[in-house]
Amino acid sequence: MMIWIAFALLTALAALSVLVPMARARKETVSPAANDAEVYRAQLHEVERDLERGLIDAEQAEGARTEIARRLIAAGRAGSSQESGEAKGETSLRFARLAAIAMLPLAAVGLYLELGSPDIPDQPLAARIAAADANTDINLLVAQVERHLAENPQDGRGWEVLAPVYMRLGRTTDAVNAYRSAIRLLGSDARRETDFGEALTIANQGLVSAEARVAFEKAVAADPKAAKPRFFLAIALGQEGKTQEAIAAWQALLADAEGNEPWVEVALSELKKIGGEPPAAASAPGPSVEDVEAAGAMSDEERAQMIGEMVARLDERLARDGGSAEEWMRLIRAYQVLGEKDKTAASVKRAAAALRDDPAASEALRSLAQEIGVPL
Amino acid sequence: MIVEIGHYALVLAFVLSLVQSVVPVYGALKADNRLMATAAPVSGMLFLLVGLSFAALTAAYLSSDFSVVNVFENSHSAKPLVYKISGVWGNHEGSMLLWVLILVFFGSLVAAFGRNIPDVLKAATLGVQAWITAAFLAFILATSNPFLRLLPAPAEGQDLNPILQDLGLAIHPPLLYLGYVGFSITFAFAVAALILGRLDAAWARWVRPWALLAWLFLTLGISMGSYWAYYELGWGGWWFWDPVENASFMPWLAGTALLHSALVMEKRSALKIWTVLLAILTFSLSLLGTFLVRSGVLTSVHAFATDPARGVFILAILCVFIGGSLALYAWRAPALKQGGIFAPVSREGALVLNNLLLTAACVAVFVGTLYPLALEALANDKISVGPPFFNLTFGPIMVPLLMVVPFGQFLAWKRGDLLAVAQRLWAAFAVAIGAVLVVAWSQGVEHVLAALGIGLAFWVIAGSLSEILSRARFRDVGLATGIRRLAGLPRSAWGTVLGHAGLGVSVLGIVAATAFQTEAIRTLKPGETMTISGYDLTFRGIAPRRGPNYVEDVAHLEVRHGGTLVSELDPAKRVYPARQQPTTESAIATYGFSQLYLSVGEVRNDGGVDMRAYYKPLVTLIWLGTLVMAAGGVVSLSDRRLRVGAPKSGRAQPVPAE
Repeated sequence: MMIWIAFALLTALAALSVLVPMARARKETVSPAANDAEVYRAQLHEVERDLERGLIDAEQAEGARTEIARRLIAAGRAGSSQESGEAKGETSLRFARLAAIAMLPLAAVGLYLELGSPDIPDQPLAARIAAADANTDINLLVAQVERHLAENPQDGRGWEVLAPVYMRLGRTTDAVNAYRSAIRLLGSDARRETDFGEALTIANQGLVSAEARVAFEKAVAADPKAAKPRFFLAIALGQEGKTQEAIAAWQALLADAEGNEPWVEVALSELKKIGGEPPAAASAPGPSVEDVEAAGAMSDEERAQMIGEMVARLDERLARDGGSAEEWMRLIRAYQVLGEKDKTAASVKRAAAALRDDPAASEALRSLAQEIGVPL
Repeated sequence: MIVEIGHYALVLAFVLSLVQSVVPVYGALKADNRLMATAAPVSGMLFLLVGLSFAALTAAYLSSDFSVVNVFENSHSAKPLVYKISGVWGNHEGSMLLWVLILVFFGSLVAAFGRNIPDVLKAATLGVQAWITAAFLAFILATSNPFLRLLPAPAEGQDLNPILQDLGLAIHPPLLYLGYVGFSITFAFAVAALILGRLDAAWARWVRPWALLAWLFLTLGISMGSYWAYYELGWGGWWFWDPVENASFMPWLAGTALLHSALVMEKRSALKIWTVLLAILTFSLSLLGTFLVRSGVLTSVHAFATDPARGVFILAILCVFIGGSLALYAWRAPALKQGGIFAPVSREGALVLNNLLLTAACVAVFVGTLYPLALEALANDKISVGPPFFNLTFGPIMVPLLMVVPFGQFLAWKRGDLLAVAQRLWAAFAVAIGAVLVVAWSQGVEHVLAALGIGLAFWVIAGSLSEILSRARFRDVGLATGIRRLAGLPRSAWGTVLGHAGLGVSVLGIVAATAFQTEAIRTLKPGETMTISGYDLTFRGIAPRRGPNYVEDVAHLEVRHGGTLVSELDPAKRVYPARQQPTTESAIATYGFSQLYLSVGEVRNDGGVDMRAYYKPLVTLIWLGTLVMAAGGVVSLSDRRLRVGAPKSGRAQPVPAE
């Protein structure tokens, strides 16, 4: 509404700038020759003044005066010959008024409606960012963080937060830069290197570049059991045409898998594509699809029994072959959930013994033990 | 809301300019005071509306309102404040809006300061000005609307074009436009006179100051553009005969001619019809310049052909205004009264010669600029017309012009005495010959052309000064009275002297910097020294540095002259990551009027850095001369007197000694 009032005001001003002078002007005409005469008279004065100041001598002044007088007489003659300035008809005036009152607003509003967008308000960036929390426009939140980082480019945490958001928005090149900054500022670790490599690979349409390879290798060096970097490294081997090495890498990766990880399927199909056989352990490592479906149809006792059997299978495997810290902790949690206190305490002890050489795992185990109230 | 108000104000200005195109002109033809009275207030209103529109766009830039397509495409929230503002006219749409803003600004100036202009002439002039306004507003609204919106608004703008982030470039286009567009007023005056069929004394009286004002801005605009190219482009050239430069230079040449012929017309009522033609041609060249720069035809004729909407629109405006005004001229000019007769040897005659030479120079530039375009369009041949062409055509025309400049100042109106003038110019001639001999002796005979050029420059400077000194008549009246007479001279006389002397100063700079420039290109490692024209440049190392939106490698050099440290230079290579665009930041040290110019090139693997150094003697005089010229314009403009040329009567002529 406000905007239309503003438009109306402007239009009224414009119309008045035409109407008011027309109403106030005198209804007479001035002969153009009279203007000329005025100029010539002023020129005569000028000659006198120049003469007084000694800029021209008497002869020059005389010459100029003669010249101007000649023009002045000519102007007078022209003026008298066309001395018939009768005011002209009112029709043209009426047209001019009509133009100001009717055409001006109609044409302006008509044209504006064709071109303009009266219902779009101003959207200054600062106000939009301030309002961003309310309507959670992800792009604006990103803009907000970007602003912060433009001012504090040394804020590694900021880059780390921003990077995965870029990935989700599909701005992979920005994500690569963000991860690179995060690693530069916060230092290298397995997860950051893995994410960095992944971003590089996606930005590169799935091709694992040399830079990405280096990142994944760093990640594996920091955490030899980490699945994701090994997954990408296996892909890289395949892309480089080192089929035998790729098969070995896939098999090693699948051997360590539990089977329910989202990437296992991809890994199996990749392996099959390059002609490798899946390792035996990968075939039934965890609860199979049938197991879970069966569990859904069972009564509570039956289900408890089935879960108990599954836990027992895991227990048995860990006792026989050993396993990763994650597997040990899953076992501990399982016993805890089932309410078997003795077995929980026992599995904590066994895990502590098995993971003795891995300080990070021992630390994780200690905190888990504390959490469930079992002395280590 | 602000953005939409700006948009509506622009539309309203367009409709109002249509009203203005008809009402006052019709009133002037019918001698109806009531219709004519609308001209001035409506001009003010048009300025208000377009100004409001421009302010609204600026507000959108300042608040980074990316719901406006133009802001989204040409701005970025991280831009420094100054460049957000200059970004308004750093793009096509915004610059056209600025163009129209200046157009209506001049219209409102005429309305405000033209109280003495006869009503009929003022009404018709403002009406014609409104035709141009209407045409360009239609162009903006139809093809280059800066107020189009975008929903949903993007979170960030697209542009951080680093080349445009320069203070020189922020000021340059407005100045240039003030000059270009300023000539629309003289054009409007000329067309109004043709429509009314009257070229009276008042016409000549009122055209000259407007031509002078426009010329003043154009001089400063061109000079500034030249200096910008000099320090920003990194290889020390100050004029490239580039089509964009020529586009602004052609109106300047024609405008200079107009300035002089308007003088004849004002003082002597002669050259009326020629002055009208020049006024039309000058603005036509401005329009042509706008077309060349804005249609994209310069980048490639074919690129223009693939997206022709804008170019065709401007071309249509061009044809209508140039063709229409010339047709009007052909039809009405014979009916205009010729005035004032004069002998060939007279002030008038000298100014005619000036006009002929300037027009010929303008034609030379015109051919050199448009011939390649025509050839590309017709024969699909791409040729480039470079400095050699212009040096061979433009140069020879300028030399006689410079030679006759001092004569023109001395010659009397109506009929002059060449011999008497020559006698009074002997001192200036002696100065010029002296300069030639000194240069030839100190620089050797191989520089004989340069020596002659410098002599010519001194001839122009000394000649224009001696005119004013002779008017003071020191020899007859003594020192004290002489000085009093000097101070009492009309300011327009001082304006002439400054204008001509400034030209001489620029010529001096051009000749010296071109002929005696030395250049050295070396690859330096830290600690190494190169020598140019007696200056020892020691490279101290190169280090990275971070700017607000760029990173740069800054080299540091110490300059020694005769063993003493005279300055330190920090040329740099910059990269703007947002655009991956490198720029060169040259370093310049000024010694007196001369400059040492240094830019860095590639950094080699072994730590060596390519350095390019120039020593340019007297180079700053090129731009200082234009400032002196512009100062002459200001002085002359401040002289509000009516002028009349006082001829010497025949019998009072001093008889030359046999």
